[in-house]
Amino acid sequence: MSVIATPARQSTGGISARTVNRIVVYGLLALFALFYLMPLFVMLVTSFKTMDEIQNGNMLALPQAPTFEPWLKAWGETCVGLTCAGIKGYFWNSIKMVVPAVLISTLLGAINGYVLTKWRFRGHTVVFGLMLFACFIPFQSVLLPMATILGSLGRFGVTLRNATGFSFGLGNPTVNLVFVHVVYGLGFTTLFFRNYYEAFPTELVKAAQVDGASFFQIFRRIMLPNSMPIFVVTVIYQFTNIWNDFLFASAYAGTGDAMPMTVALNNVVNTSTGVVEYNVNMAAAMIAALPTLLVYVVAGRYFVRGLMAGAVKG
Amino acid sequence: MAFLEIDGLRKRFGSVEILKGIDLDLEKGGFLVLVGPSGCGKSTLLNTIAGLETITEGEIRVDGRTINDLHPSKRDIAMVFQSYALYPNMTVAGNIAFGMEMRGVPAQERQKAIDKVAKVLQIGHLLQRKPSQLSGGQRQRVAMGRALVRDPKLFLFDEPLSNLDAKLRVDMRIEIKRLHATTGTTIVYVTHDQIEAMTLATKIAVMRDGEVQQFGTPAEIYNNPTNLFVADFMGSPAMNLIPATIDGNGNALSVVLQREAREPISLRLADAPTGLSAFHSKPIIFGVRPEALTDPEGAERNASNIATADCHIEVVEPAGSDTFAVTNLGGKAVVARLRADANIQPGTVTPLAFNLTKAVFFDPATENRIV
Repeated sequence: MSVIATPARQSTGGISARTVNRIVVYGLLALFALFYLMPLFVMLVTSFKTMDEIQNGNMLALPQAPTFEPWLKAWGETCVGLTCAGIKGYFWNSIKMVVPAVLISTLLGAINGYVLTKWRFRGHTVVFGLMLFACFIPFQSVLLPMATILGSLGRFGVTLRNATGFSFGLGNPTVNLVFVHVVYGLGFTTLFFRNYYEAFPTELVKAAQVDGASFFQIFRRIMLPNSMPIFVVTVIYQFTNIWNDFLFASAYAGTGDAMPMTVALNNVVNTSTGVVEYNVNMAAAMIAALPTLLVYVVAGRYFVRGLMAGAVKG
Repeated sequence: MAFLEIDGLRKRFGSVEILKGIDLDLEKGGFLVLVGPSGCGKSTLLNTIAGLETITEGEIRVDGRTINDLHPSKRDIAMVFQSYALYPNMTVAGNIAFGMEMRGVPAQERQKAIDKVAKVLQIGHLLQRKPSQLSGGQRQRVAMGRALVRDPKLFLFDEPLSNLDAKLRVDMRIEIKRLHATTGTTIVYVTHDQIEAMTLATKIAVMRDGEVQQFGTPAEIYNNPTNLFVADFMGSPAMNLIPATIDGNGNALSVVLQREAREPISLRLADAPTGLSAFHSKPIIFGVRPEALTDPEGAERNASNIATADCHIEVVEPAGSDTFAVTNLGGKAVVARLRADANIQPGTVTPLAFNLTKAVFFDPATENRIV
């Protein structure tokens, strides 16, 4: 910054130091940007090439005859393990797992933040400290205990089904993953919402109390409608994390029909049927990456500052 | 029986006592102003009346009903907050109607009530706007509208004007006074601005450190402060509080003010308070308001006890409506309030008239008034 902001011209003739500085700074920035975008570029161009072109051509060259064939194949025909029906089923598996996990963990985080700031109880700092601690738990360390817990829940589900005819989703791998992601996402979502609500004017809550609104009415009518920015941040964060998760997905739903996208993608790449179809692999990877990009593009619009303007003070 | 009664109210946070036994009462239609420096407990007191803070000891009654343990919404009160606390996600109409909505008032009645209040406060054209689209004064009006629409037994105002600029503050002050006069509501109002307190109140409670220092009408508070704190806090410019001694004997007491490099001034007191004779040749604090210390021509004609003394004028401050002159008595800067066109120059010696009927005396040891 200071390099760019320097107003003094060092000399009147020739190239000034300022221009040199600018060339260096922008040159470096451009270089880093190029370096950062290179893999994405290679992925994108490769996914539109035919296998012949990949084998004979330059990795960085643009496709000579762009084709959607690899994308269609990745979506509908490629082999994941032994079944060759494309990745579309696993894509929906991920959606079915991510959407409830994101919504539940975000809503619970919002309620936690609301209670921890506006309805404080004795020991609220300890509770918050413990929740914060959850953010720092290495997930490898909980794999086995959580597997045991999920196993118990599954057996309980079987008992329930025998007794009532319905397992309430216990033992279902998708439900298991939602449960795991909600539990381990709570630390972050609570942190986000608590810090946001800490700065939220308490007088609004008091005014609503005088107006006769109940605990949940205040939450639903006053807090939530004014939480758009942090809601969007939390949703993007949670969506990206849960969608991209490979560890829990492979540990608790690594085989079978409920396998999420990330595990399926891994299996696509590892499936060997002779030639490695780079174009199909790249297309599958792009498809796997699209939802997180899409969430950012759609929700990013709501990253608007000043939503709270006018709540307090003139 | 008064309309609002507060009996022996105490509030403790852990071991810290915020309110140390408050006793106040207010008649129906009265306007009680709680005034004091920040941290004196006035906002806490208001919050306990509103039910937003619990109380440790004591009782609050409104219209004969004890409201100690009632939820804020069940106390039949309305509150205007310092920050206005308008719900940013709702329109003005939504803000005003929110309380009624929570109480399950039908939409048609809500609309009628909104229209009525909008007419009183002249905010009809703002009803569909969001709070962020309003100016400070308009937000203030909407906040008052939200309180008015409840038609409560008691209005609570928590420093409602402190976020406005000086001119708007004066306008809204008049507006609140007019509103009180036309609707005849009972109001408890918290402020740290003693001018707001003087102009609005029918009763003032001056607070310090969780205690009521003095409770009375504005005139009582202004003319007969019970202690040094009240005398110093109320009035602008503040009362001159000059260290002095008492001389003379029997009925012929006079107050002696030391001066730098000059003869002391001796002012003869015609009707000194009886307690003053006990302070013969002891230090006291002599209190005289700037308007009771003026040029001889501008002195009050029918005041019975006026003493004149030559004073060395150090600074002259023309304020437009008045001219303030600063002299030095008893080691303190003393402000005199003169007519705007008074012919007075800094650095000269000019006679000043002390209106001693308005003078008050304090014991420096206890800080209480000598009566």
